[in-house]
Amino acid sequence: MKDALLREIGKVVIPFIQIFGIYIILNGHLSPGGGFSGGTILGVSLIMHKLIEEPYKSRIKISERAVMQFTCVSLILYGLLKGYSFITGGGEFELLDIPLGIPGRILSGGMLLPLNVAVGIIVCFTIYTFYTLFDKGEI
Amino acid sequence: MAAAANFPLLIILILFLSSFMMPVLKRVKAVKWLSLSSILLCVVLSVLTLAYVQQNGAFLYKVGHFEAPWGNELKIGYLEAIMSIMFTSIAALITWASFFSADYEIKEKNIMLYYTLCGMLLASLLGILYSNDIFNCFVFIELSSIAACGIVVVKDKKENIKAGVKYLILSSLGSGLVLMGIAFLYSITGNLNIGFIHQELVKVKDLYHNTLIISLGLFTVGLGVKSAMFPVHIWLPDAHTYAPSSSSALLSSLVLKAYILLYIKIIYRVFGIEIVKTLPILEIVLVMGAVGMIFGSILALLQKDLKRMIAYSSVAQIGYIFFGIGLGNILGLMAAIFHIISHALTKSALFLIAGNIIERIHSKEISRLKGIGIEMPITLGVFVVCALSMVGIPLFAGFNSKWNFALAIIDSNRILFIAVLVASSLLNALYYLPIIINAYFGEENTKDRVYMSKEKSLGALLPILILAFAIIYLGISSNGIIDLIAKSVSNL
Repeated sequence: MKDALLREIGKVVIPFIQIFGIYIILNGHLSPGGGFSGGTILGVSLIMHKLIEEPYKSRIKISERAVMQFTCVSLILYGLLKGYSFITGGGEFELLDIPLGIPGRILSGGMLLPLNVAVGIIVCFTIYTFYTLFDKGEI
Repeated sequence: MAAAANFPLLIILILFLSSFMMPVLKRVKAVKWLSLSSILLCVVLSVLTLAYVQQNGAFLYKVGHFEAPWGNELKIGYLEAIMSIMFTSIAALITWASFFSADYEIKEKNIMLYYTLCGMLLASLLGILYSNDIFNCFVFIELSSIAACGIVVVKDKKENIKAGVKYLILSSLGSGLVLMGIAFLYSITGNLNIGFIHQELVKVKDLYHNTLIISLGLFTVGLGVKSAMFPVHIWLPDAHTYAPSSSSALLSSLVLKAYILLYIKIIYRVFGIEIVKTLPILEIVLVMGAVGMIFGSILALLQKDLKRMIAYSSVAQIGYIFFGIGLGNILGLMAAIFHIISHALTKSALFLIAGNIIERIHSKEISRLKGIGIEMPITLGVFVVCALSMVGIPLFAGFNSKWNFALAIIDSNRILFIAVLVASSLLNALYYLPIIINAYFGEENTKDRVYMSKEKSLGALLPILILAFAIIYLGISSNGIIDLIAKSVSNL
């Protein structure tokens, strides 16, 4: 959208949207929200960036390869963490576990925080990919 | 060996993780080897699981830190252990064969995606097989439908996308029906774990007779659509014809079978055969299976396209399997399970052969196959083995499954169905044998053909040769496997 007003406002708003998304992801285990909702908000900020910056040939471009790599690495991270939890739970292994921490702190809740981060990244790029697929037919 | 209890979960994890590693890798060759090595590792783990089951019997495995009604469970018995060996080893052979055919059939940028989807597909099929939680099974069903549609459209041609969309719509319909069946069960039992559902169903079966009919009917139609039971098979011929040949082999030999195995689990574990026998559903399954045996073969007889003919032959063979389940006795179930194995071996080999032939003569038409036996003697030799097994000639796996079907029919006192079995076998012979005869004999057909001129390399032929040996082995000595199946059926 070639609109100077929208672009200038977007420049101010997008960082706040992103910080809000990251806040929701990082506080997912403490308050309402989590990986999915935070990731959606992050993805929306990417979509908005693409909408308002595209006609001006923005410097920041998200390539298909980057999307694939971020998504796959997060999926692998999620799989490893959750798989570790499944195997130690099912096999009754007494292996080391991530400490639970003090309730209320960001670094608490064991595996929930890294899992939320992984989900957040996956959802963020998936939302963005959906938008670009429907918009252009490719990422 | 106590660690072997973890292997089923480990197999699913390895397949998922390795398949998501593939898009990150840069080189196509690395992707191919990663795919093959992860599946081979799963074959080894499956064999160890069977050894563990033979020592300790069937076991329940708690996934995660919570006990059964709250957490998920896997149940591994003989059936799961045998089938997981079959699934992983056939997938490994098909992957090996796809090394040689993928470059010809799939665009290079999609090859990585293809192997990712194959890994996901196999993992979700094994998930359906292992899981003891019916909703978990549904999640894996959804995952496998997406991956299966993916490997159909991966060729990126117009007719592929049409076939893929048809498959996607019908299989979504099927999984929707399964979900509704689960919802009915959940509303009357309050559980999703298969063992707990069964405990509750035994208590409330008289109160909810109609609900049980609706629920089992939804499962039958839903899983029937997904596994191409006769009147709802319409997606199968298109999807199998246009997909790359290695995808068709995977679809026909493994994907259809996982849903049938889930159906067996639903009948024998969720409902229990005593409850199912009070419902009229099994009779319908029996009739549909018998009709499918005949009509699938007749439709196959009318085809001019090689892959489409093999696809319709799959409809007929799935008819056999549903027929065996519909008989409702132990022998019928054993015959159905044995036929799942023998059909998986035969049909994967047939689709891989069809792929090889199409690659060499650049045509799908059966009329162009004349004299091909001189040009591709090894490929056609394996084709002969598979065709004879399909027809049910002694010394091949198909004979043993038909023999078991006949025994099951006699055991259930429905002697008339023997005629259906024989008629279907004769129809099989009618469409397979002309291909073989025209390929090898006839002066016009064999004139000017150069011996071995179009044969593929030995590496490419290895998977179909192994499958052919497996078919002959199952034909000559099936006792070991029949014993295992008998154990698995008695512990269902």
